[in-house]
Amino acid sequence: MKKLLSAIFTIASSACVFAQEAPTSPLEFSGSVDTYFKYDFAKQPNITTSFASDHNSVSLGMIDLVLKKKTGKASFVGEISFGPRGQTQSIPDEAANGSSFHIQNLYVNYDFTDQFSMTAGYMGTFIGYEVISPVGNFNYSTSYLFTSGPFQNAGIKATYKFSDKVSLMAGLFNDWNVYSASRGVSSIGGQLMVSPVEGWTAYLNVLSGLSGYGYGTIEDLTTSYQITDKFKLGLNAANYDVDNDGGGYAGVALYPQYAVADAITLGLRGEYFKTKDVGTTAGTAFTSVTLTANIKSGGLTFIPEVRLDHNKDLPFVKSNGMSVPNAGQFSLAAVYAF
Amino acid sequence: MKHFLFLLLVLLSAKLWAQQKSFPLDDNGKYIYYKVVDSQVISKDSLMLRAKAFISKHAKFIVTENVSDSSIAAKGRTVIDKTVLVASHPSGELKYNFNFETRPGKYRFWFNNFEFIPYQRDRYGNYVATTNIGTPLERSPSKLAAAEWKAILASAYLKTEKIAADFQKYLATDRKPKAKKKEEQISTKKW
Repeated sequence: MKKLLSAIFTIASSACVFAQEAPTSPLEFSGSVDTYFKYDFAKQPNITTSFASDHNSVSLGMIDLVLKKKTGKASFVGEISFGPRGQTQSIPDEAANGSSFHIQNLYVNYDFTDQFSMTAGYMGTFIGYEVISPVGNFNYSTSYLFTSGPFQNAGIKATYKFSDKVSLMAGLFNDWNVYSASRGVSSIGGQLMVSPVEGWTAYLNVLSGLSGYGYGTIEDLTTSYQITDKFKLGLNAANYDVDNDGGGYAGVALYPQYAVADAITLGLRGEYFKTKDVGTTAGTAFTSVTLTANIKSGGLTFIPEVRLDHNKDLPFVKSNGMSVPNAGQFSLAAVYAF
Repeated sequence: MKHFLFLLLVLLSAKLWAQQKSFPLDDNGKYIYYKVVDSQVISKDSLMLRAKAFISKHAKFIVTENVSDSSIAAKGRTVIDKTVLVASHPSGELKYNFNFETRPGKYRFWFNNFEFIPYQRDRYGNYVATTNIGTPLERSPSKLAAAEWKAILASAYLKTEKIAADFQKYLATDRKPKAKKKEEQISTKKW
């Protein structure tokens, strides 16, 4: 026992001495919880984009917990979520095996210099405007572009920052949304970040490789511009082609937001989205308009939202079961971030 | 028991006193942190050199804008943390103007034009600025945002006070390079 205690003391002392050599940030701890009520005007779930799926129910989003620490040039992020939004609705293949949680981020990073860093692990995808965590989105419901694109990428990536205005990332990744590769490290991806003027940032993204749709290439532009202290404009445009006539999609979404008061911001999401033909099966096109308000009080954000979708191929239903071209829903979400 | 109550009273008073600290207003109705320091033993030139060295040492956070033979104007930023139990995470960034002036036997410095830029967690779990446009600390927040703004003001004051204390300490310390201490050698040939 004495030897064991001595050993523990020695190891702890060594760790302490080692830690003193490099600047250490305190352990960062943050997270969020979210819940929502949604009422579909057809009195049944109708719009099939991700999350906020239950009709006439006060339902759960997820509890999300994030840990981060940086010691010298090395850092890690671990983010785990529990609940439908971060679990079964995000990563169906894991849910099929009965997972009780979903890792959102789990990676280590090393800053070789102020300009050059490398990151390895499981990371939120670099593709697209919207994310899984409701804290990172303005709208509570999600776009077709988000729902159809990757959620996460496991892999290794290198980032070089030329200046505050330009950086370049390149990496090798597994197939989409899986903790371990199903067919080896099968994708290559890159991101060019440019910030032409203060407040305007644009990301040009490419990801080529394996996904649930097959092998293909996705090109994506994600940009946002804080034009004044009250007005912000975001844009996401993407094109995805799956090899051998396997389909894919293309779309564009615009996100204007205006702060009408200190704690209240109104935002609109207008989206056009089209799935591509798969063999002889024709693709279909959606248009969607979502009006959202963010009402903030401390860490709490209330998100009332009205959404109207249209598709001339009648994928939606009315309350009597008839196929119709239009669908609508109202939701009220509460998101608390800490 | 009496001692315990006394200790509790002292702690509560200290906490209340700490909470009450806030920036005074300057002639323009803007928040300011202002200090005049008596410094009879350090020459004006040494104070200028040390002030420049302090800014160079913290170049990631303070950038010089103007320098004369007896004054420095700079712009700076510092990160404000939000504490959850024992752990914390960045909640935003405080931008400020820093001014330093020296005369024989004394110097003064002040921080003003404070602006706050909120941070938000990004897709990788890192806290980043949500906007590039800062909000002046003097704004009157709405009822919904009042409590959060009060906490930001308190954190901003404590951070500024800490920078000011570090600056004063730096200016009061002579940093002549020390002669390298010869490493101790032990000979095992003779014993």
